[in-house]
Order: sequence, then structure tokens, then C-alpha cells
Amino acid sequence: MSRTYISRHPLDDLLPLEPGIRAVDHLDVPRSSAIVSVMAMDGEEASVTAGLAASGDVSIRFTGPGEWLAVSQSETPESLHRNLSLLLAETAYFVDQSDGRVVFRLSGPNVRRILAKGIATDLHPAIFEVGTSSNVLCGHISINLARTGENEFELIVMRSFAIALFDDLKVMGREFDLSAGFSVRG
Amino acid sequence: MTAYRLASGGLIDRSAPLDFRFDGRNLTGFSGDTLASALLANDQLLVGRSFKYHRPRGIVTAGPSEPNALVTIGKGADSDPNTKATVAELYSGLDAHSQNRFPSLKYDFGAVNGLLSPFLGAGFYYKTFMWPAAFWEKVYEPIIRKAAGLGRAVLERDPQAYEKCWAHCDLLVIGSGPTGLMAALTAGRAGLRVILADEDFRLGGSLLGETARVNDASAQDFTETVLAELRSLPNVTMMPRTTVFGWYDDNVFGAVERVQKHVALPQAKLPVERLWRIAAKRALLATGAEERPLVFGGNDRPGVIMAGAMRTYANRFGVAAGKSVAIFTNGSAGYRTAADLAAHGVEIAAIIDSRAEGADVAPDGVRVIRSASVIDTKGRQRVCGAVVERSGFEQTIACDAIAMSGGWNPVIHLACQRGAKAIWSEDLKTFLAPDVGNGLVVAGAAAGRYTLAGCLKDGAEKAVVIAADLGFSTVSHTAPAVEGEIDPSFTALWYSPGAKAKAFVDFQNDVHVKDIGLALREGFGHVEHAKRYTTNGMATDQGKLSGINATGLLAAMQGISPADVGTTTFRPFYTPVAFGALAGTSRDEHAAPVRKSPLHGWAQRNGAVFVDSGLWFRPAYFSRGGEKTWRESTDREVRNIRENAGLCDVSTLGKIEVFGPDAAEFLNRLYCNPFLKLPVGKARYGLMLREDGMVYDDGTTSRLSHEHFVMTTTTALAGGVMSHMEYCAQVHWPDLKVRFCSSTDQWAQMAIAGPKARLVLQALVEDDISDAAFPFLAAGAVTLRGGLKARLFRISFSGELAYELAVPAGLGEAVADAVMEEGMAHGICAYGLEALNVLRIEKGHVTHAEFAGRVTPDDAGFGRMVSAQKPDFIGKRLSTRYGLTAADRMQMVGLKPVEPDQHIRAGAHLLREGAKPSTLNDQGYVSSACFSPTLGHDIALAFLKSGRERYGERVVVWDKLAGAEVVAEICNPVFVDPGNTKLNS
Repeated sequence: MSRTYISRHPLDDLLPLEPGIRAVDHLDVPRSSAIVSVMAMDGEEASVTAGLAASGDVSIRFTGPGEWLAVSQSETPESLHRNLSLLLAETAYFVDQSDGRVVFRLSGPNVRRILAKGIATDLHPAIFEVGTSSNVLCGHISINLARTGENEFELIVMRSFAIALFDDLKVMGREFDLSAGFSVRG
Repeated sequence: MTAYRLASGGLIDRSAPLDFRFDGRNLTGFSGDTLASALLANDQLLVGRSFKYHRPRGIVTAGPSEPNALVTIGKGADSDPNTKATVAELYSGLDAHSQNRFPSLKYDFGAVNGLLSPFLGAGFYYKTFMWPAAFWEKVYEPIIRKAAGLGRAVLERDPQAYEKCWAHCDLLVIGSGPTGLMAALTAGRAGLRVILADEDFRLGGSLLGETARVNDASAQDFTETVLAELRSLPNVTMMPRTTVFGWYDDNVFGAVERVQKHVALPQAKLPVERLWRIAAKRALLATGAEERPLVFGGNDRPGVIMAGAMRTYANRFGVAAGKSVAIFTNGSAGYRTAADLAAHGVEIAAIIDSRAEGADVAPDGVRVIRSASVIDTKGRQRVCGAVVERSGFEQTIACDAIAMSGGWNPVIHLACQRGAKAIWSEDLKTFLAPDVGNGLVVAGAAAGRYTLAGCLKDGAEKAVVIAADLGFSTVSHTAPAVEGEIDPSFTALWYSPGAKAKAFVDFQNDVHVKDIGLALREGFGHVEHAKRYTTNGMATDQGKLSGINATGLLAAMQGISPADVGTTTFRPFYTPVAFGALAGTSRDEHAAPVRKSPLHGWAQRNGAVFVDSGLWFRPAYFSRGGEKTWRESTDREVRNIRENAGLCDVSTLGKIEVFGPDAAEFLNRLYCNPFLKLPVGKARYGLMLREDGMVYDDGTTSRLSHEHFVMTTTTALAGGVMSHMEYCAQVHWPDLKVRFCSSTDQWAQMAIAGPKARLVLQALVEDDISDAAFPFLAAGAVTLRGGLKARLFRISFSGELAYELAVPAGLGEAVADAVMEEGMAHGICAYGLEALNVLRIEKGHVTHAEFAGRVTPDDAGFGRMVSAQKPDFIGKRLSTRYGLTAADRMQMVGLKPVEPDQHIRAGAHLLREGAKPSTLNDQGYVSSACFSPTLGHDIALAFLKSGRERYGERVVVWDKLAGAEVVAEICNPVFVDPGNTKLNS
């Protein structure tokens, strides 16, 4: 008997199905993202860096020396994995993390003040520039933080911590009436 | 006598009256008041009782060094003990209570201690409560504990919210007085990211009570002009109500912001206090100087107030501390207070100057008594006169308040918090901050530059240097001009001789001059010893007023320089910080993050009862209707797995993907057993040792392709093993070509165990999983019907025919539901950790209950697994050391009670039959125990001396905690299916 399995997001029971009223500071949660761990083979760090830079629609997050997360909202996990394998053949290893990581997008005028309640890193735009990413602690939870705009950040967290991080972000954003919802398109 | 509100003046809003209560009395103050200024304005001089003698005490200061005016604000769970009235911002509805008194502030039973004071000298406790020894615990300690402590902590849960925050800046300016303002302005103009923090609710520091004029304007107008410009600079953050309390490594400063301590009804979305960690490239300490009290007879009477504080109350708050004020001074500051009070129409009873001469000018008509000192004060709960001695002649001067001024102590606490000691300045007769490098620079009065012009200039100049140092080009600045400059000169006076009453050094702890002398005589003359022996400088104020005077007295009594006495140690916190602020949001469900398995929802739907397992919540058992205890559910689950099948969530086990041409070699060195030749498509049990030869972790590792392995770890050590691997790869073997990353969260993994496991799975899996095609320890990718890619491992913890199926985490619940659906016909059940544990004990499988850190592979029966051929692996060298191979080591065995209805508990110890129950006769211990539904009695795994040679022998299982002794037979630890026929079926 053939079966179809329906995927669940860890915040399925915590976020409304329909988008609600958006506050100026908003936490947007894509329902799904394609995320692949990329690890350069020995001695191939520079060529993988160059290859990833030319990967077009894919966003690259630094996670350690010679290691990145490749993130895409437009591709499926399979297509991202396949495209990267073609692009970086024989220079890197890949592990699909699309189900293992959850993406949070935080945006709004007070986003730095919200993040300062959990993250010790200096997020001044002159220091943590747009396009920068880093593994940091947000409160007790390890995340990958990326600046995607002047007042926009993406937090990527291990799936099992997603609810705990979401609860923390709500407390951090309470002062600014932070709203939250699933992405309309994602 | 009365203290009273002046008709005009002060930075208070007289159009905004505020009602508040003190000890039940309804009083009124104004917006801009502190609780202390409002109490003084209402002539409430008596505000507390001292700690030891319960002496009546009044407000002494106008700031954070206040030793006496400690009150409890609020009631019940909301109450805040030991709040300094001198810094508490007044608000409408504030409800304050005095402390350390019973039944009331005015009539206090504890005051009887004052009569006993001849017996309560320094070291009293140490000398008195010594014998009989038995009295200590039962009599003395309870009495002392009851008397100890200032204020009362409530035991109710704090209903308020707190939070913690990080901030970053180029320059942190601590203190917003003249020095801090000019530093912030100069640095702000130069483009530095500046944070200006001040503990006061109003920025401006001493300028708020200053009568000198700056740049042809009042000091207050000058302050407003500077603040307005600072507010206009986007790179400057101003933080009033923020106490910088500590200086830590890497130039991180701790600060606490009182966000809503000044409101009656805090907003729910804001914390009441916020703890800041400020990472500053540079910091400027502009904390000013503290006026030094004078040590004279009767100096603790309510109404004896610091001269500078009295000036602040008059100028900033429009409050006169008395109608007729006597001023006792050793320097110019006393004359300045006299001039300001006289200008407000307050009568100056006399200026008593300890110096023989001076150029200071007293207000018109005010009598100056030189070379004189105050030796006693008159009055009971408030002062009504000063007894003045000059050249052997005494006179009593009627007055209703006494201002005292003993010179200046720079506030240098933060600069001394990281180990550097304060340095005595013979010129300034005080201690100055040590040079602590570029990170923290001291300026203005905190650096001993006491004049107003000097402070303004120093703040600006130091900021210029810092800006240049950080690579900013600075704009030019002109030092503001000051009219009516302060003369800060004084002559040190540690003790005013001839005291006719107790001359207090430390008001809060009731330490007087004789106590210091006694400490010295009894051999506790070192400044740190004297502090502990006398309690001088302890408790909430930590000697802010008393510390330097104690040093001066210890020096004077020995005829040495204060430089040779030194100060006690400065440590964070500068002023007390609420535990709530230190905890921030990390309480209740936010105390530690919760990790949830991708099968959490599935388990919930199936009736799981969860248990904490590290950060995870894991199903302990699945309760069904009619089952009353966990044992009933667990026994049912175990029987069902042995007969049919069960599904258990094992997603929490660590999963690490290992890649590279050297991946096999890397694993071969990590594990004590061989991995080099593990075939593709096979799983193998691996045992990881620590360098000391003890077992660290275990799990199965499967080879998915020639250069790709997937390792599993225990749930507990998933992170630990990953770190261990990083360490080994980076430090031990950087030459190995290997890469790895965690995939724990990517996969939902379920164990399907039991004789019918294959029947259930085959209905879902497209591939052939017959015993021939997919035998025990097979591992690899499979496709579920419908096309879903999954991983399947034929491994077994229960001893049954078993598989572990891994699918992408998001699909975990759907697949688990499908397995249950397909398995229904075969009697499948969900099972939890309890059943998992029973199954593995029955099979003699180990967990961290056995691998508790002092067990070698051989102890646990894995001796033959350890490779003798491998040239090296972690733990190899120390595995052969003496003791680890001894014949009488404790070895893992099975135990079963001789009487089948008796119980064995984990943690019990083992004794030879007939041996006296004592750890001296210890033979071993029980690591795991359970009731075996399969066998119908308790079974246990235990570590026993030379255990493997002793099968058939009997031991006593001694459980001292439960008071039980059970005779058990030693047996093979594999209770069920020792021939492995089930898992190979």
C-alpha cells in the first residue's frame, strides 16, 4: 500500500494557521526551508568558499572553519542537495539538515534591542554587517545568526530547541509587542 | 526642632505632590524627591534601628552609601527589604516600613542590647558562645541566627519580571556628574559609541545640588544644556537609574537598571529591573568622591548628617535638615554647607572647626570655634545639642541638626574589583585608584581632582585621549568656566579625642572606636582581620563610609601610615543587586531550554507520561485505561514486546555523520574495538574509552558508504562525544582527512522491536528486509512505500528481533502513526523508557548506570572486544596500568533474589553472607534493578569483586536507605535469550 506522509513543523500547534496582525517587530517562521550542511574536503576550503559565493539564490551561513549551512527558500531539500553536489563535486561533503533545523526571521526597528536580551555579540551594523553570520548563544540555546538586512536577522536553530527558542523570543520581544506567524509564502 | 521643606528652590515639582506611607503614617512629598528627602521634609528623622544595639538612627547621607536609612518597600511577595531611602525614588503610593525594630521604631525591645553593650564588644560571639560545646547547635546558633541579618527576605515567589541584556560601546562613562557629562559630551561629539550610566534617576550628579555657576549659567541649567546635546547624538545612550556594580574580565561591566522600581503599578510587558552586561572598549570612572564622616562621641544620633548631604537636601530637594544647624568640620566643605544653608534662611548654631586656622569665611554673624571638637551629642531619638570641647573647656551648643564633614574619599570601588589595591596619597590623605591600564580610566573627583573646574576639564581631556586611542579624530573643546569654585582642602582627622559617648566608625554594624582598638590589642590588627573581628565594613554598605576611617584609626593607633594598613578588598557588587535581576528570565520553564523529540506529539497522542531526561522530555511509559501504576503499564509493554512488537522513540540518541578518506581510521582510534574493516551496509557496536581507560560512551556506528559513517551516541553524551571528536580531530590527529557534523535533529528515529517487528515493517518498506537480505547488524538506506527515503538499522537493545527506522524529522509523526496502524493487527504497542530499561536489563545490556565512569570494558564483560592488534586508540595506554587489570576488580554480574518475592534496588551494596553491614565489608553495588515480567521476579545488574568467578554463590544485597537486606544469587547477567536466537530470528 502506497502512503503519503505529511510533514509537521515543530511550531504547528503554537502558531495560528492564518496570518494575524503584524506588529512593527515581527517574527516570521517559514514553514519549510532547504538547509544543507556543507563541509569542505581537506584542502578545498578556498575553492568551496568561492563555489558557494557563486551559488546564486542560495544563502550561505558560516558555522565553522570550512563548514557552512546553505539555505534556500525556493529550492526543495533534494534539489538544493543535488545542485550543491554538482557545483562542488569532489570538494565538499553534504548533509541534509532541512528537517533538523528551523529558521526564524526577526525584523523590525527594535530587532537589535530584542536580540540584545539573549545574544552577547555586538550587532551594530558597522560591526555585524549585512551578510554576516555566526554561531552564537541566544540565552541558553546555540543558534546560527545571520544579518539579512539593516533590521532583519535570521536565526537557525536545531529542531528540538525550536519551541524553547520561540518561547524565549516571545519573552524577549514582549516589550515591543513582537508578533509571530508562519511565512505567508513559505 | 524640625526638619522642614523650604519655601522655594530645589529640583522638585511642587505642583506634583505624591502621597506615600512610612510605618503606616500617610505623608506627602513631591515628584523629584527621594524617599529620604520626603521623610526629612516631613520631619521624620528617626528611620531605623542599628543592627547590634538597636540604637535609634536617622538619615546620614543623600546617596548610595547610606548605612542607616534602610527600609522595606512594598508588602508580601512584592516587598523589597534593605532599600536605601536615600536612593529610592518617591512615587505615589509608595509604602515603606522601617526594619530591625519590635514592636515599633519608637519603642524597640532590642534597644536593651544598648544597655548590655559593655559585654557586646568586638569578638563577643567568638569568645562567649564556646562552651558547653553541645549548646552551639541547639541554643546559641538558633539565637544568633534569629538576631542576625538586616531586613527580612520573603519566601513567597517574586511576582515581578526581570531580564538580562547585553550592550556594547566604545566608551562607558560611569557617573553623570561634571566629569562624566564632559567626558560623554566630548566622546559623543567625536563619534564614539557612548553609554552614560548613572545610578540616580536624574542625570547630573553633584551638579544638581551645586551653587557654583558654570559658563555663566546655574549648574543646573548648564547640566540641562549638556544633556540636551547628548540626547541629540544618536551614538550616545543615556542610562539613568542604572548602577554599574562590577568590572569583570574583558572589560565587561555589570549594571542593574531600575526600569520600574519607581512606579506603583509596573507594566507587565516591562521588567522591574534589567541586568546589563556592558562590553566596553574603554570605560571612564567618573563616580566622584564620598564625604568622609567624622568619628566623635554621639555621632550616630538622628540629626547628625553629612555636610554635603545636608547641602544636597537643601539645594536639590528644597529640604532643611533642621532649623538650627551646628557644623563640625575639618575643612572648607563645612563652610560651604554653612553658606548654602544660611542662604536658605537656616540658622547656623556654630561652626566647630578642628583646625587651628583656615582661610574659610563663615556666613555673617556665624560663630566659628577653632581647634575644637564635638565630644558628645544631646537628645534621645533626635539631636538637641552638641557638646563642644576646646582647650579643656566644654560647652553645649543647642542645635537640632549637626552637619559633619571629614574630607573626601574618591569612589574607586570598580577600579579595585579585579585585584589591584588602592594606593594611599599622602597629599590628598586618602586612597586613590591604582593604574589598571587603558580599559578603565579614573577621572575627576574619583581621581582626587575635587574642584568643579578640574572635574569638567579632566572629564573632557580624558575623553579626548580615549577617542584618539580608539582612532577617532576629536573636535576641540573648551573647558567651561566656573564661578564660585569649591575649595576641597581639609586636614585629616581620624578621631575626635575626648569622646564622652560611643564614637561610631561603622553606623550600620555598630562598630565604635573602642572595638577597633580591641581588635588591634587582640591581634586582629590587619585591616582584613579587623573587618571580620569587628564587622566594620560588612553588610549592605560594605564600608562605603566606614572603611577609610577604620584604616586611618588602625594606622593612628599603631603610629604608622595608612599606606601600611591598606584597605579591605573591593569586590562586586558595588551596591546590593536583587537575585531576581541576576536570574533574569531564567526561571520556571525558562530556567533551562526544553528539547522536544520529533515524535513528541505522537507520544502524547498515544498516552505517554513524560520524564525529564537531560533537556529532553522522553516518554517513560504509555498509560492505558485501567492501569493504575507505572509498573502495570511497563509490565504490559515488556510482555507485549517479548510476544508481539513495540515502538519506542529513540530520536534523542546522538547521531553524527562522519566523512572522509580517513573516516574509518578516525573511528578506529576513537573506539577501543576495531572499525577499520567494517563493511559498507553494516552496523557495529562501539565502545569509546577515556584516556584513563574507563568507558566513556557507547553506541552503534554504521558504514553507509566507503567514506561515510553514521555514528550514534547515548542521549546524555551526544554533545560530549561531538566535542571529544572535535578535540581529537583538531588536536590529536590533525593529519587525518575527516569531517563530521551532527544530524541528531534531522532524523526521527524509532525502534521497532519484538518477534513481529519484521511483519510490521515489511508492510511499509519497499526493500526486502528478510533475515537473508537484511540480517542482524545490517544498515542502509531504504525506501518506504510511497517513495519516502529512510534509513534502516537492524540493531537491538531489547534482545528481540528489532530495527531502528530513521525518517526526516518532520515526517516522524506521520511514519510512527503508519507503523502503529500497520502494527495494530500484530498487537504492536508504544513503549517508553521504563520498558526499554527492563528489556535491556533482562538482556544484560548496559547503559550509563553501568558505565558510570569507573568501569573498564573488562569490568562490564567487554574485555575481549578491546583490540590488542590496533597500534593505538584513546584509552589504550592506560588500560594496562596497575589496578585496572587486578583480579579482584568489581565485575558485572546478574543477581536474582533467592526468595522470588523479594526486591532489589539499584544503589544497594553487596556483602558476603554473615558479614557485618558496613562499607568496610563492601563487595560491590547494584547498578540497575527491575522487576522482570518475563521471569516473574526481580533481577539486577551489579558490580561485584571477582564477580564472574562467583556465579552460583550468594550475597547479601544491603540497602541501608530502605533498611533492607535481601539474599541474592549471583548469575550470568544475560537473563533472557543468552543464545541470541531471538535477535537473529
